[in-house]
Amino acid sequence: MAFHHYHRATSLEDAQQTLLSHPSNILLGGGLWIKKSNAEADTAVDLSLLGLDQINEKEDHIEVGAMVTLRDFETNPAIQKLGGGFVAHAVGQIMGVALRKLATVGGSIAAKLPFSDVITPLLTLDVTLVFYPKKEIKLADYLSSKGKNKDILTHLIIKKTPGFGFFKKVGNTALDFAQLNIAISRLNSHVAIALGSRPGVAALATQAMAYLNGCAKIGPKDIEKAAEMAVAELSFASTTFASEDYRKTLALTYVRRGLEEVLAHAS
Amino acid sequence: MKTVNHKTPSLGGKGIMMGRPAFTDDLADANSLIVKILRSPHAFAKIKSIDVTEARALPGVELVLTHHDVPRTSFTRAGQGYPEPSPHDKFILDEYVRYVGDEVACVAAVSEEIAEKALSLIKVEYEVLEPVLDFEKAKNNASVLHPEEGIKEMFPIGFLPKQNVAASYAMHVGDVDKVLAQCDVTVTQSFYSQAQAHAMLEPHCANARLDFQNRLVIYTSTQTPFHVRRILSQTLAVPLSKIRVIKPRVGGGFGGKQALHGEMFVALVTLRTGKPSRIAFDRKEVFESSYTRHPMRIDMRLGAMKDGTLKAIDCQVLSDTGAYGEHALTVFMVAGSKVLPLYNKVDAVAFGGEVVYTNHTPAGAYRGYGAIQGNYALESAVDMLCAKLKMDPAEFRKKNMIREGETSPIFAIMGEGTEGTAMNMDSCKLDYCLDRGSELIGWKKKFPRVVVGPHKVRGVGMSIAMQGSGIPLIDMGSATIKLNDDGFYNLTVGATDIGQGSDTILAQIAAEELMTTVDKMVVYSSDTDLTPFDTGAYASSTTFVSGNAVLNAATKMKELLLTEASLSLQVPVSEITFDGKTFKTKKATLSLSDLANHLYYNEHQKQLTATGSYVGHKSPPPFMAGFAEVEVDTETGEFEILEYVSVVDCGTPINPGLAKGQVEGGITQGVGMACFEDVKSSPKGKLLSNSFLYYKIPTTLDIKKLTTEFAQSYDEAGPFGAKSVGEIGIDTPPAVIANAIYNATGVRITSLPVTPEKIIQGLKAKK
Amino acid sequence: MQVKFFLNNRPFIAEVSPNDFLLKTLRDHHVTSVKNGCNESSCGACTVLLDGHPVLSCSLLTVRVEGRHITTVEGISEDVKILSDLFSDEGADQCGFCNTGLALAVYALKRELKNPSDEEIKRYLVGNLCRCSGYQAQFKAIVRYVRNEQ
Repeated sequence: MAFHHYHRATSLEDAQQTLLSHPSNILLGGGLWIKKSNAEADTAVDLSLLGLDQINEKEDHIEVGAMVTLRDFETNPAIQKLGGGFVAHAVGQIMGVALRKLATVGGSIAAKLPFSDVITPLLTLDVTLVFYPKKEIKLADYLSSKGKNKDILTHLIIKKTPGFGFFKKVGNTALDFAQLNIAISRLNSHVAIALGSRPGVAALATQAMAYLNGCAKIGPKDIEKAAEMAVAELSFASTTFASEDYRKTLALTYVRRGLEEVLAHAS
Repeated sequence: MKTVNHKTPSLGGKGIMMGRPAFTDDLADANSLIVKILRSPHAFAKIKSIDVTEARALPGVELVLTHHDVPRTSFTRAGQGYPEPSPHDKFILDEYVRYVGDEVACVAAVSEEIAEKALSLIKVEYEVLEPVLDFEKAKNNASVLHPEEGIKEMFPIGFLPKQNVAASYAMHVGDVDKVLAQCDVTVTQSFYSQAQAHAMLEPHCANARLDFQNRLVIYTSTQTPFHVRRILSQTLAVPLSKIRVIKPRVGGGFGGKQALHGEMFVALVTLRTGKPSRIAFDRKEVFESSYTRHPMRIDMRLGAMKDGTLKAIDCQVLSDTGAYGEHALTVFMVAGSKVLPLYNKVDAVAFGGEVVYTNHTPAGAYRGYGAIQGNYALESAVDMLCAKLKMDPAEFRKKNMIREGETSPIFAIMGEGTEGTAMNMDSCKLDYCLDRGSELIGWKKKFPRVVVGPHKVRGVGMSIAMQGSGIPLIDMGSATIKLNDDGFYNLTVGATDIGQGSDTILAQIAAEELMTTVDKMVVYSSDTDLTPFDTGAYASSTTFVSGNAVLNAATKMKELLLTEASLSLQVPVSEITFDGKTFKTKKATLSLSDLANHLYYNEHQKQLTATGSYVGHKSPPPFMAGFAEVEVDTETGEFEILEYVSVVDCGTPINPGLAKGQVEGGITQGVGMACFEDVKSSPKGKLLSNSFLYYKIPTTLDIKKLTTEFAQSYDEAGPFGAKSVGEIGIDTPPAVIANAIYNATGVRITSLPVTPEKIIQGLKAKK
Repeated sequence: MQVKFFLNNRPFIAEVSPNDFLLKTLRDHHVTSVKNGCNESSCGACTVLLDGHPVLSCSLLTVRVEGRHITTVEGISEDVKILSDLFSDEGADQCGFCNTGLALAVYALKRELKNPSDEEIKRYLVGNLCRCSGYQAQFKAIVRYVRNEQ
């Protein structure tokens, strides 16, 4: 991608005005995907001066700026505590440290990258996206929203809920895109199941979740049933790198194993 | 031995890690024109018209070349001895484009931006033709890739372009069908091996300039500088004496740089403009527009008696050479010649097949060079036979494999595009390799499988392999040693260090013979003006062929030194002892450094140099036994290679650390082919795996535990007993992994790569 | 536009286009130790240190480096000498193309991780691809450097 001008925004208002001033203008995240586009933009807007690269831990939630790099995210003590560490673990498996020091949390989420290992585990938590100007939207709702978004993602708000999570990425080598990724969390006894790279972007298996969260006590048969429900309710497809059938086999197996693991952690 | 077979630091390691300019693109002239290639978007098309007026008019563009502007001489890009066993089926630029990524036009401009802009201004009208994308449907296809005039084979190789056949061959010893009919047990199976990308870290690049003698001087990332010079000279009709080719440090080759890539274009641009020029492939071009491994279908038939005696092998190959025929015949033949002799006691053996053209990225030389594909098929089929015989695969191999002192008729019959060379296995420690490897992996305890959990099972698999050491009667290497004042030497060799450490090991050989240390041996290599000839780094020839040349030169130098010492000390040579530093007689001593200084400045002044050459009369194979333990998740098919054991007979390892690195690097690259790497194309023939994002090579986390040992071995024919080690490491992994997976799960994978998805499909089919 | 940053602690001023990446800027200025392996964030050969942290120079816009500190192997030569001696000792030297990027990552690893396990070292370096060596000998040398076992 080529752009003719580079503008370091001095405020969010300035950023948005510049962004809207020309239809081709773009917002820079980590800059990792610029080369993959053949488009031409007039101006690239950079948010680096706006202090959006901070993580602030509060009483019951964590504020993560959209420009926080994946590396800073995964090494942050508050993030590492979430769900026993499964979010930090998931992000820490993405490519190498030198890439994660450039890629941003906001960039991965705003683009709704279908293979994202960031989105899938976050989807099993209570995550609110904050856009400028004033808009707050739950991560799940954002993922299912349509249309181009010209608002600027400034923060994530992650609720701190005690519990345990599981994450698995199935891929070829250690640096591969996920053929499927699976995240399961059990926070305050509420179970969440998210599957991504199906190849579609991460989605919650809401029916399977409703079933489990309605059980008085979850036994092995319930786990099996929930795994089957999750596979049935979500869409899978074949791509060059994994077939639909194989993705479903993986989903069935790892939803089951993930549930077993998070439930084993229940005290 | 004091230097050979001792740990020795590599000559270039420190300087390179410290960042000194060393690689081809680091050495381009600062004001070089940037050369870019317009590449075909179609798998097969004819250029109806090509209009470069706008591109030529763009300010900053110095030259635009189309097929109308370049010499019409067919050649082969393959870096091989002359006359090449590859067909001359390539023109610099042609009116046909034969794969997505093929060259259409060449632009030279003052900057990268302008060059790219110029590419976009070239207007091409294509007549899109029906591509041939399935190599099993290529022969006699209605679409003919090479209908043009002016292409030829240099000697008979079975070149039938109108049938889309680049080469063919057949041989047999005895009557396979008859013997198979009498066997108690037979196996008939086809195996498919995929194209593989070399994925060397340094993309292909070259740069050219005219020096003050008006000679064309080219730096190129190549394995074969002398072949590059010859091919440029012949194709561009420039006298050989007007061209100099220099190979700087190369960031990996593995066969992918054993053929021309950008040299023809920078040569043309510099000759036509008078200005320096440079070309550097981007990674997409490396994937799409350089070379791959030859994909093959190998039809195996094996027959044995129930006591485990292997009686007959029939091996028929269909090989896909892609759009052009570089290395077509020779890779295909090595799938037989460097695999079948492993079982030398059969009553009958047959090998044959064809190499066909398809509209894919051209296939070319790639470490293993056919032996890895052949090994996958043969060693998988052997295990299938063992399953039918209910015989331990290790025992079966011990019963039937080649041993020291033995021979195989195949050596005499099959060469590199020509007849072969008969030879006995003067050194063959395959039996030790097999026994030791079995011990290290724990074969007896672990074969075939151990269940370790409700859905976790481990299995072990093995394979034996051989390769060669240079091409006998064809590959020649030479070396010159020059004595300097102070008593140190320059060693100049044509041999091509592409990262395997040949500069270092050749210095060790020379130092050993001259009884000195490596720091007294300054190496300069691969410059067609300043170094003597060498065919280049391929066919595992550097240690054996170039090493013998160095030994030869060092021996001659030693004689010259003694002659001069005799003159200086005024005693016959027979009364002098020399320990590398000092000449001693009964009455006097003379240091080498004093002698050297005298020879430059004081008396009997002369420059001592010695040149040695070597051509092999045999190609003593290195051998190895490879073993792996895998752990398979039977619910998902995912598997891990817990350990890979390699026991190698390479003769004397000149540099044990570097030799081990060759094996470990080869195993890793072979594991990549076995498990992770898959060259995939779209239905229209466009390469989908044209980026490291999609084409995955092994990472440090994927290679868990490698155990590598060397057998004590010594081959008389090699320098200080050495054979070769550059390729042998890559040959075993596909068969080893396929066999281990079978032993663990009962699923036999007959097409590469071995993937979890294929394993699960196999397990489901068995249910 | 003009960009000013620090290269190995010395001021570095360059005239760049807004969409130039640091890899191109450095190599255009003859900093040849930084290698172009893929130019698409996937191989690690172009690794430099940004304020001490490894980043991919092929994926970092030069305009974003204003006022920051970039380190290449020329800036850590004492440590490189030690690491390269260890590489030599372990037989890890092959083509060397991945070595400069790897050396910088290893240098940063030693300063960033406290008592890393073998697994943690490999995880930190997984983005530095090597096609020649099979990683074994490199790893032995790296462990000796990280744990000061010379």
